[in-house]
Amino acid sequence: MIKEHILQIKNLRKHFPVKNVWGTDIALVKALDGVNLNIEVGKTFGIVGESGCGKTTLMRTLLRLVEPTSGSVELSEEITGNEFTSNKLEELTSEELRRFRRQIGVVFQDPMGALNPRMIIKDIVSEPLIIHGKTDNMHVRVLESLNNVGLGEEHLYRYPHEFSGGQRQRIVIARALALEPKILVLDEPTSALDVSVQAQILNLLNDLQVKFNLTYVFISHDLSVIEYMCDRLVVMYLGKVVEEADTEELFSNPQHPYTKALLSATPNFGKSTKRIMILGDVPSPITYLDESKARLATEITEQERLEIDAIKDKDIDYIVRSSLNKVHPLIEVSEKHYARVKS
Amino acid sequence: MLEIKDLKTNFNTYDGVVKALDGVNLKIKDGEIFGLVGETGSGKSVTCYSVLRLLPKTGEIVGGSIVLNGEDITNASEKRLREIRGGEVGIIFQDPLSALNPVMTVNEQIGEILVLHQDKEIKELASEKGIPTSKSKKWKASPGIEFTIIALCISFVSLFVMLGQYSFGLPFLFVIIMMFLRDYFQRNNLASALDLMVIYALSRVKLPNPAQIANSYPHELSGGMQQRVMIAMALAGKAKMLIADEPTTALDVTIQAQILQLIKDIQKEENMSVLLITHDLGVVAETCERVAVMYKGKIVEENTVNNIFKNPQHPYTKALLDAIPKGGKERLKVPDVGEYGSI
Repeated sequence: MIKEHILQIKNLRKHFPVKNVWGTDIALVKALDGVNLNIEVGKTFGIVGESGCGKTTLMRTLLRLVEPTSGSVELSEEITGNEFTSNKLEELTSEELRRFRRQIGVVFQDPMGALNPRMIIKDIVSEPLIIHGKTDNMHVRVLESLNNVGLGEEHLYRYPHEFSGGQRQRIVIARALALEPKILVLDEPTSALDVSVQAQILNLLNDLQVKFNLTYVFISHDLSVIEYMCDRLVVMYLGKVVEEADTEELFSNPQHPYTKALLSATPNFGKSTKRIMILGDVPSPITYLDESKARLATEITEQERLEIDAIKDKDIDYIVRSSLNKVHPLIEVSEKHYARVKS
Repeated sequence: MLEIKDLKTNFNTYDGVVKALDGVNLKIKDGEIFGLVGETGSGKSVTCYSVLRLLPKTGEIVGGSIVLNGEDITNASEKRLREIRGGEVGIIFQDPLSALNPVMTVNEQIGEILVLHQDKEIKELASEKGIPTSKSKKWKASPGIEFTIIALCISFVSLFVMLGQYSFGLPFLFVIIMMFLRDYFQRNNLASALDLMVIYALSRVKLPNPAQIANSYPHELSGGMQQRVMIAMALAGKAKMLIADEPTTALDVTIQAQILQLIKDIQKEENMSVLLITHDLGVVAETCERVAVMYKGKIVEENTVNNIFKNPQHPYTKALLDAIPKGGKERLKVPDVGEYGSI
């Protein structure tokens, strides 16, 4: 096989229970509801969606920071190295889980929140090395990973607050790379940064990917960044994948109404495309166990009606949230392009 | 509408004087949406705070003039400024949840502004319809006395429970229950002129079921709804000018599109002037007619939106536009901050 899948996510579900005052479950929040993904080696895999759609839960289940309700994550040989007892993430023993986490680095959204303000950079970057027992030549390793992100020896003995936002994000990346992982999970790495700094970080990430043959899982809500970085991407809506395709295909030929609206909401300077607005508020992700309450309403709500009235005599296309509540099965629209649309 | 001439604002810090604004010139015409873009630390927000003189104690305006509607407000008295803030100039802040008071209902918060700025209108409406101006204060003492009564009642109840004479505690328990019932019914009774005006203000920002929203607390509303409440508050004082400081940064793209559309609609209906402060060039491209680019406390370029995106003149504007990924995979051009000096 030439194009190997480094991670295969199969029918992953994560349901958080909602309890009433007596402690019995009355509803479920379906953060992930049957997600299937194949992540290729050396490519960037993008995950897009609005807040509350399950992007971050997906990332956390990938790292097994939360236990999935059902489904599995299958690891390739490249990660397991034929030494693990199982290639399924949920069956790993705790020692194997530590070894697995060496292979996967994480970069979080807010760099200041991810760095301990009372530790110097040298300690921050060497901490994962100490935890995973790679203490030989530590100073050299730390310097090497700082050099990789464009920082140097003079930064070793400073505290996080002495750095700018972009430099802090570089430190977080250096720490993630210190253990030489195969996969880097990036959870909105640039959303807290200015455009000019964002450009620096994106360029850096591209360089590192080529240098170390890294696989990226890139989570973002900024479509222009996603378009620039990713080879393949999925669009998520309320815990489900609504569309999956290669980036070019998805941007040129979106199928699902939500994807279409999302793409039209990104500003394109000068080029005139027709806006599609999404009217109404994000529906509650809670699914009641009681059958009569369980179905999401597909009728137009009061708020949507008001908003339709407001824009109906203007030249704007729209879709309403309630129409997105109907769930269609995922079908293959064209080659390697899947979408939840009416067949 | 608003004319800022050579405005200079300094911040006195332990490390010396920071020139946050270094000669800002702006002219916002009647009935236009004016965008102010720049990176973090360029002085966008300080401009807005200087206009309304909401600067912290360390900040002071050292030069220049601010003319609002032909009136020089550079040295206006605190009394006059209070009339302007929320009266002639409405303001929307970035994070609606931290800008709204968490322990006051929406009704109370919007009512506060109406009492301060629309007192005459409330009285007119009340006499016209023959309804009370605000909620009746009957059966209600000052908060201090209310608290004392409840505390005394609770201590009496617990005293009699301890003594074993339960029946003596019952009257005090009755008083406590009646006070809560009174509050509940008074809160749901939206019949005064003030309440009607609050409901009108909420319906203007296309909120469904305004009576219900008026009685809810900020945390019960979604992010988009909170921002709508903020806009309703900013408009409640019959503002002729709206200052929006990063109004959509905390929101998702789809909700962002709704809020921007709402601001555009209201601006057109009321023929207001809007000063939109943002770091997102996309938002500016969607919304504004004219735009100014700020850098290091100075305005480096000012033009109509179309011209600035098609034909940027200043190297900083060019660099800023180049840094945005716009489709295609070529390496992003990183603006060299050193070229323009560090902020």
